Amino acid sequence: MKRLTLSWRLLWRNWRAGEMKILAVALLLAVTVVAGISIFTDRLQSAITRESHSFLAADRVINSSQPIPLEWRALAQQHRLQYAYSTQFSSMAFAGDAMQLAAVKAVTEGYPLRGKLHIATQPFTTDPQQITVATTIPAQGEAWVDARLLPLLGISLGDTLEVGEKPLKVTRVIAEEPDGGNSFSPMGPRLLMNAADLQATGVIQPGSRISYNWLLASEDPQQLQAFLQQLQPRLSVHERIRDVASSQKRLANALATARKFLSLSAMISVLLAGVAIAIAARRFASRHVEQVALLKSLGAGAGQIRGLYAAQLLWLGVITSLLGLVLGYWLQAAIVQLVGDLLPVTLLAPGWLALLPPALTGLVCLVCFAAPPLWHLPTVPPMKILRRELPVSAVRQYWQVLIGLLALLLLVAVFSGDWVLTVSLSAGLVVLVALGLLLARLLLNGIQHYSERSGSRWRLALASLQRNRQQTLIQTVVFALAVSLLLSLTGLRTSLLEDWQLQLPPETPNHFLLNVAPHQLDGVKQLMSDNQLTTEQFFPMVRGRLTHINGVEPDEEKRERTETLRRELNLSWTDHLNSDNKVIAGQWWDSWPAGGRVGVSVEQEAARQIGLQVGDELRFSIGGLTLEATVASIRSLKWDSMNPNFYFLFSPQSLDDFAPAYMTSLYIPSQQKAFINTLLRFDPTLVVIEMDRMLAQIQAIVSQVSRGVELMLLAVLAAGFLVMWAAVTSSFSERQQEAALLRALGSSRKQLLGSLWLEFSLLGLMSGVMAVAASEVLLLAMQRWVLEIPVRWHPGLWLWGVSVSVLLIGAMGVFACRRTITTPPAVILRELA
Amino acid sequence: MLSVTNVGKRVETSAGELEILKSVSFSLAAGASLAITGASGSGKSTLLGILAGLDVPSCGEVELAGQSLTQLDEEGRAALRAGHVGFVFQSFQLLPGLTALENVMLPLELHGVSDARAKAETFLQRVGLQQRLQHYPQQLSGGEQQRVAIARAFASEPDILFADEPTGNLDSTTGAHIIDLLFDLNREQGTTLVLVTHEQRLADLCQQHLVMEGGEVVGFNGQVSDAGVLTT
Ligand SMILES: Nc1ncnc2c1ncn2[C@@H]1O[C@H](COP(=O)(O)OP(=O)(O)O)[C@@H](O)[C@H]1O
Ligand SMILES: [Mg+2]
Repeated sequence: MKRLTLSWRLLWRNWRAGEMKILAVALLLAVTVVAGISIFTDRLQSAITRESHSFLAADRVINSSQPIPLEWRALAQQHRLQYAYSTQFSSMAFAGDAMQLAAVKAVTEGYPLRGKLHIATQPFTTDPQQITVATTIPAQGEAWVDARLLPLLGISLGDTLEVGEKPLKVTRVIAEEPDGGNSFSPMGPRLLMNAADLQATGVIQPGSRISYNWLLASEDPQQLQAFLQQLQPRLSVHERIRDVASSQKRLANALATARKFLSLSAMISVLLAGVAIAIAARRFASRHVEQVALLKSLGAGAGQIRGLYAAQLLWLGVITSLLGLVLGYWLQAAIVQLVGDLLPVTLLAPGWLALLPPALTGLVCLVCFAAPPLWHLPTVPPMKILRRELPVSAVRQYWQVLIGLLALLLLVAVFSGDWVLTVSLSAGLVVLVALGLLLARLLLNGIQHYSERSGSRWRLALASLQRNRQQTLIQTVVFALAVSLLLSLTGLRTSLLEDWQLQLPPETPNHFLLNVAPHQLDGVKQLMSDNQLTTEQFFPMVRGRLTHINGVEPDEEKRERTETLRRELNLSWTDHLNSDNKVIAGQWWDSWPAGGRVGVSVEQEAARQIGLQVGDELRFSIGGLTLEATVASIRSLKWDSMNPNFYFLFSPQSLDDFAPAYMTSLYIPSQQKAFINTLLRFDPTLVVIEMDRMLAQIQAIVSQVSRGVELMLLAVLAAGFLVMWAAVTSSFSERQQEAALLRALGSSRKQLLGSLWLEFSLLGLMSGVMAVAASEVLLLAMQRWVLEIPVRWHPGLWLWGVSVSVLLIGAMGVFACRRTITTPPAVILRELA
Repeated sequence: MLSVTNVGKRVETSAGELEILKSVSFSLAAGASLAITGASGSGKSTLLGILAGLDVPSCGEVELAGQSLTQLDEEGRAALRAGHVGFVFQSFQLLPGLTALENVMLPLELHGVSDARAKAETFLQRVGLQQRLQHYPQQLSGGEQQRVAIARAFASEPDILFADEPTGNLDSTTGAHIIDLLFDLNREQGTTLVLVTHEQRLADLCQQHLVMEGGEVVGFNGQVSDAGVLTT
């Protein structure tokens, strides 16, 4: 107890003497940044996950071609999950003589668990006043339908239609479904009904194609996870779990990249702060060698010294960590405040788990960055109090570096949970430091050569670099490290944003138009050009199943495993490929030896799943007819592009006999949204799939996350400054001594200032070149392997990277060391005595 | 209080092994005072360090306050220093970040003395610095700093006080004041005193006088004849 209070007092006195400020600030910064990012991403993540779950209308969906066993509900209740059922199938809807195939969805109370169902009492309305959020599901005996079903059946709101044998009164029009926009299958307009009426319709027969969905949600992700884990062994081949990743790949990708980026920037600030901590701790240690010798002469043993210093570090760690957590919370609150209006989601309260990474950071920084340079203090020989020149054996520097590196690995691994990132970052750093040391050494040798024939200012600057060779080397590498990490991060951010923007050029198609009958094609095109809307290409499309491969029918098990074999497929033909398609095996039509055969080009992922090779013979069943085709090529394609894409593309004209309907994608600006109604009035059998809401959301998320990232970049910048500051000031006392001597010997203040400028600018130049080279390599590697975005060079970086480095380090060095020049030499010499 | 038998010290240097202390023997009774003089580099500080348990001899025996230093480990010697030894150094060795009061309190705090502050204040008052308690070392003159160091040394009430050229960094007037103070306190507390100095006046004030040269004791001029005497 006494020891703790004594260490507390010593800590306070050290603090007052200004010996711990950099150490404390660096620790504080590391914890703050990590806390800020951790809490922010945690909140963002859970909010976005929840929001994107609205596309599922749930957090998870168990989907099956068989009824979901009801006894599973007990397990769900046990985990306090919310759940609802939705049963989906196509069925004819009748009204008098009119009939129309409708996409029926029968739901139980609670649907949707996530997202909102918008309904209206007026068909085809776009007036927000008329649209409300449904708080219930259709009552028994009622149906809510897509507006276009009404003209197709020739009825209006309030009339009755029949599904199978059950009459249903149409009471509402569906304006927007949370889980509606992502289905490609033109099963017809939506008809939403109460699941309690399902039995009465009589349409559910053995053998009917029905998709059973069990919607699940929970406020507590862990409960959900535990539930799924227990459910997993009970699932048969029929059931599969759908989450955001499988249903919204695109959004999930954008999120994953954003998260990687955020954790990367957190890591880099921690790394920089870690280096600053290590430098500050070294300085602290060198100032404390004599203090320890004194304490020992006063009777303190090595054990007591170790205890005192460990306790001081502990105090420092606890205080900065607590303070860092508070500041981190403010930081993320500031970010939220800043971007709050832009957020498409309401943030949830942060989870306690988000506090773990920052706390761990504080601890790791302390143990792995601050402790090693201080480790030898207790072993300082007491005789040093009488004999200053006695050597002390510090922990070897390469051990210190190694320990720091290991700590970094640990932190990266914990933050990102991503081994590729961990290994690439660390390997990059090792290479950077090794090459940096080598290069700096070479440069120094070159300078030495040059300094013999140059003016006095140059000679002074160069001599100063030479004299403290070790220090110059370390400073160069530390500066290079800081600058390159800053550059990489800025560069990465830029290319990330550009890449996102590239993925979604301004007029990205945001609607799909399906089911255009051949005789309506010209009319639809006319309507589009009347409204100044353009589209790329209309694809003929038929729906069919793949039934035989090389004459053999795939067995039941393979069918269950392979979605492409189970589902009806969208089949099309085209003679020219979009730019986002690439033939990776076999031949495209222009060089395919047709010889009257029908060819088909298969998407690579589908080909891999089914196990198809070029040359395989396939048989398709299309509306009761069969089509034989040979696999002519395998294609890779980018699903992210919003163009129509198909697993199977046939040779030209080969589908003409199967009465294809046409489809396309088009961009409809939001102010022209009413065009959809025009289209549907023109031909109610058209199907329009609206992707704009999802696209807008992705863009909002991207822009919001990048704003957050920019703020974080400031924090990283601060960490970078701190490292440089620590490195510059670590040489302060020697410099002061040198400057005093030089001035005493008659050097003018101007001369010394000039040589300071020169010296630090040279340092800046060396580190700048190294840093830019390193960050270029790092960036390319990151783009290629971590973020998996297109690789691009950064010529601009070389120009401004190096000049910023020269100016920044030059200015900082001069600013930090100006006192060595401006203080009268007599004062310094007396202080030193 | 202090007894030394055949103490020698050899160190490894780049130029090979160097014998910096050769076979020193003498003893000193409790309350007595000893001056060690000799040219610079003659081994005075080396001897002092060994006597105080800051360093270990290569051979020979040192007994301090009834305990054999050579048989104690580093921790044991630290404990012995904590209980019995005080220091005054040539370069004062005050911690620059601590006030005069805190500097004096430091050893007391280290030893877990409960009324450290009161005690430190008393001793600072005794050296005439009661007005300067909250001053930092750089706000004090050299003589004042050494007075703080003396207060620090006596505050823990040591049985034996080692001083390595306590006036070496001071002008002669100030040095004289410091010496008076040192001897006054020494008398009051009944402390044994071992003093390294090159000032004859200071050596004369001590009861015994050891002259060193090249690591050897070349002269001993004790005023108390029953003390152990050895001349080589
Ligand atoms: N650890 C050591 N390594 C090498 N030489 C040493 C060591 N300790 C002392 N010396 C040398 O021993 C001699 C005596 O030193 P010292 O005891 O400091 O003399 P004094 O205090 O009388 O001036 C000096 O020449 C010194 O350089
Ligand atoms: Mg000496």
